[in-house]
Amino acid sequence: MMPPTRLAGTLIPAMAFLSCLRPESWDPCVQVVPNTTYQCMELNLYKIPDNIPKSTKKLDLSFNPLRRLGSHSFSNFPELQVLDLSRCEIQMIEDDAYQGLNHLSTLILTGNPIQKLALGAFSGLSSLQTLVAVETNLASLEDFPIGHLKTLKELNVAHNLIHSFQLPEYFSNMPHLEHLDLFNNKIQNIYHKDLHVLRQMPLINLSLDLSLNPLDFIQPGAFKEIKLNELTLRSNFDSIDVMKTCIEGLAGLKINRLVLGQFKNERNLKRFDKSVLEGLCNMTIEEFRAAHFDDFSEDSIDLFNCLANVSKISLVSLDLSELKSFPKSFRWQALESVKCNFEQFPTLELPSLKRLVFTSNRGLNSFTEVKLPSLEFLDLSRNGLSFKGCCSWRDLETTRLKHLDLSFNDVITMSSNFMGLEQLEYLDFQHSNLKQGNDFPVFLSLKNLRYLDISYTNTRVVFHGVFDGLVSLQVLKMAGNSFKDNSLPNVFRALTNLTSLDLSKCQLEQVSQEAFYSLPRLRLLNMSYNNLLSLDTLPYKPLHSLQILDCSFNRIVASKGQELQHFPSSLASLNLTQNDFACVCEHQSFLQWVKDQRDILVDVEQLVCAKSSDMQGMPVLSFRNATCQMNKTIIGISVFAVLTVSVVVVLVYKFYFHLMLLAGCKKYGKGESTYDAFVIYSSHDEDWVRNELVKNLEEGVPPFQLCLHYRDFIPGVAIAANIIQEGFHKSRKVIVVVSQHFIQSRWCIFEYEIAQTWQFLNSHAGIIFIVLQKLEKSLLRQQVELYRLLSRNTYLEWEDSVLGRHIFWRRLRKALLDGKTWSPEETADAESNQHDAENST
Amino acid sequence: MKGFTALFLVWTLLSPDSGGGEAWPTHTACRDGSLEVLYQSCDPLQDFGFSVDQCSKQLKSNLNIRFGIILREDIKELFLDVALFTKGSSILNYSYPICEEDLPKFTFCGRRKGEQIYYAGPINNPGFEVPVGEYQVLLELYNENHSTVACANATVICS
Repeated sequence: MMPPTRLAGTLIPAMAFLSCLRPESWDPCVQVVPNTTYQCMELNLYKIPDNIPKSTKKLDLSFNPLRRLGSHSFSNFPELQVLDLSRCEIQMIEDDAYQGLNHLSTLILTGNPIQKLALGAFSGLSSLQTLVAVETNLASLEDFPIGHLKTLKELNVAHNLIHSFQLPEYFSNMPHLEHLDLFNNKIQNIYHKDLHVLRQMPLINLSLDLSLNPLDFIQPGAFKEIKLNELTLRSNFDSIDVMKTCIEGLAGLKINRLVLGQFKNERNLKRFDKSVLEGLCNMTIEEFRAAHFDDFSEDSIDLFNCLANVSKISLVSLDLSELKSFPKSFRWQALESVKCNFEQFPTLELPSLKRLVFTSNRGLNSFTEVKLPSLEFLDLSRNGLSFKGCCSWRDLETTRLKHLDLSFNDVITMSSNFMGLEQLEYLDFQHSNLKQGNDFPVFLSLKNLRYLDISYTNTRVVFHGVFDGLVSLQVLKMAGNSFKDNSLPNVFRALTNLTSLDLSKCQLEQVSQEAFYSLPRLRLLNMSYNNLLSLDTLPYKPLHSLQILDCSFNRIVASKGQELQHFPSSLASLNLTQNDFACVCEHQSFLQWVKDQRDILVDVEQLVCAKSSDMQGMPVLSFRNATCQMNKTIIGISVFAVLTVSVVVVLVYKFYFHLMLLAGCKKYGKGESTYDAFVIYSSHDEDWVRNELVKNLEEGVPPFQLCLHYRDFIPGVAIAANIIQEGFHKSRKVIVVVSQHFIQSRWCIFEYEIAQTWQFLNSHAGIIFIVLQKLEKSLLRQQVELYRLLSRNTYLEWEDSVLGRHIFWRRLRKALLDGKTWSPEETADAESNQHDAENST
Repeated sequence: MKGFTALFLVWTLLSPDSGGGEAWPTHTACRDGSLEVLYQSCDPLQDFGFSVDQCSKQLKSNLNIRFGIILREDIKELFLDVALFTKGSSILNYSYPICEEDLPKFTFCGRRKGEQIYYAGPINNPGFEVPVGEYQVLLELYNENHSTVACANATVICS
């Protein structure tokens, strides 16, 4: 066995080698941005890792049990700007722990149970702007050793144990301090002396959050002549009496924004009284916000008495069900009411109001007219309101309106075409139910409108002039509507400045060629979630500025036709995902186009073939043209082969006899006989013999030599001798042309009988019968032998039709070829000589 | 000593990576005679505590729940996705904003990474009778950057 020392000796170099192989030296941290941002969250690190580059600017060490920070802990990271030490179980931070971090702007210490903080713990940190010390057991701001952090802008000490609101003297060193978050501490009392430092060194941009502190008492005059940007007091008071006295204690405060209220889950006030807010009369408030107060008492119109000079007011989740009207002639410029349970639309007559947001008031029925002559911004969304006659200046008594939001309401009847509202730039009707919006050019007078949203308004576009007049429109959203015949006509003819158009979920099946004819500036077009069946580029051709086209979630199978070159050259992004692509060779050119366009296609890897094709679920990119070529070759070859074979067969059939001649093995030779056949026929049939038989057999291929009495019989010799000498002796076969006349002719019968005898002597089948015409049986019976032969033997029957003739001649030629000696001519001659010699003996 | 070093080296080379792949234990959120709610954290980073105060087949509206977690993310904004399944098929999908940046509703809104939050209070649910059966509920809380804040696979067994 190997001794342990040697084992170690081999393993140590091995490990060293392996550690060198590690590709990332910052292991185990995650490199978010190379050399700049590293994430080491929850890696069970007991010390600060030293393998992270010096240039790191953002370092997240949260959720590691670092426990204590010694001096110069971060001297390796002089460039650090953001340091996150959340939940590092840090109990102790020694002097100079952050020394050298001169660029650090954000330090996060959330969730550390700090027990001992050295006086010089935060020394250095000359650029620190944000210090988050949430949930760090901090008991007092006074003892927090941050007095030298002159650049500090935000100090977040929420969720701690701070009892005193005493703002420490060192705040006078922090001229840039903007946020002090004391949320969820233990502050009960605020005294005049606590704000001493703010009297010496006013921090007019300071925002203070004191929410969830159990405030009991604010010394009257504590905030006198103090200027603040924002003060937030939410869920601070146990009773309205405490709240009332505390608000009175704020007297003299000049503040930009005051937030009063509760949290939904920390509602301690059982009821609310208008007297609570009386103290506000002694304050100078620019903006007032209130949230989550329940049960306002009746006649709450007086509630706002001390807020007459406020310019902005926000009311969120207040129970204002009893409020019938807002006070008149206040100086409010902006009013926001969200979820305030109004039971009827309140009367509004505010000459100075420029901005009105009145949303999420469920339970209202209809909109009543308001008198807001300065109104520029109106948001009435999410109220379930119905509007009987939208929209004209009479409803609002304003001609300055620029922004109108009536989305998420009930029925809106378009009865007037925005008379007096020509200044409108923004108009939103989405998810309301638009009525009569399609009967006349309803937007005709809105020459300044830039944004129009009529998505999901149950609009069915029939009238082509619906968008006429919108010459400045830049954005048109009309998703979730429909068009006549599900075909997109040119309804956009006036929209020459349009840059963005949303036509998704419009059930579109086709797009007419002229649809986008007048949109030269359109950059973004959304056609997703429609029912387009093919990708047709022609309608998009006039869109010279088009950059983004979304045709996802359609049913596009392939392109329309094969041409796909007409997309504008400016197109940078095309989305074709979730379509029904047919990955078949028929659409090969389209699929190739998809591959060529992969640079502009969104998620090109996600394009998959549709269910119906063989490649179901496969990426479109995996389609190979080679498969199509292969198929084509296979089909081509097989078609060619079949054609060739059939041509050959036809040729072989047609030139069967020529081929036999050509073939060396069957060389045509005369053999022992001069003639191929001796023809026996009646002179009545001589016409047929001359015109048909002789012509076809002697002039055709192969040429046969026939023995015919009128031509080949030697004159001067007896007919019988001629028949025997010239006819039978010199012929291989005998053709008998059987006809009525044949049977009646004596010479014919004689010849036939000799032929029979000669056949018997030669002992081979040599007689070919040709029946020229149907024979009467009684006549035939006279020639018993012939009758017997015809009924036993196969004979050729002459038929005067094209097919019949063809078959007849083929059969006859075959029969004549049969038994022919196909030997070379010399031997044939020699043999014939021999035979002659034998015969002569 | 050398032997110990060698053994240690062998151990470091051979020991499997700790963490990863282990599922969090299943907790009971509530249980009574006819209704039982079990849940398991599906966030690989952490487990969390959750309970429902009242648990009966006849579900009351505005149930009181308790929920405690140490945040791994800031939650300036917080959203809840709920998906309800039975026998593998989806019945209900629901998305709801819990925290908005402007005047947030709840005390835990706007809290920071590393902070411990605890919520005990009512939720905004309608009252109804739970039909007999077994249901799977997937709950996911995420922040404005779509980072998961908490995730749970819950099983509701009603008999």
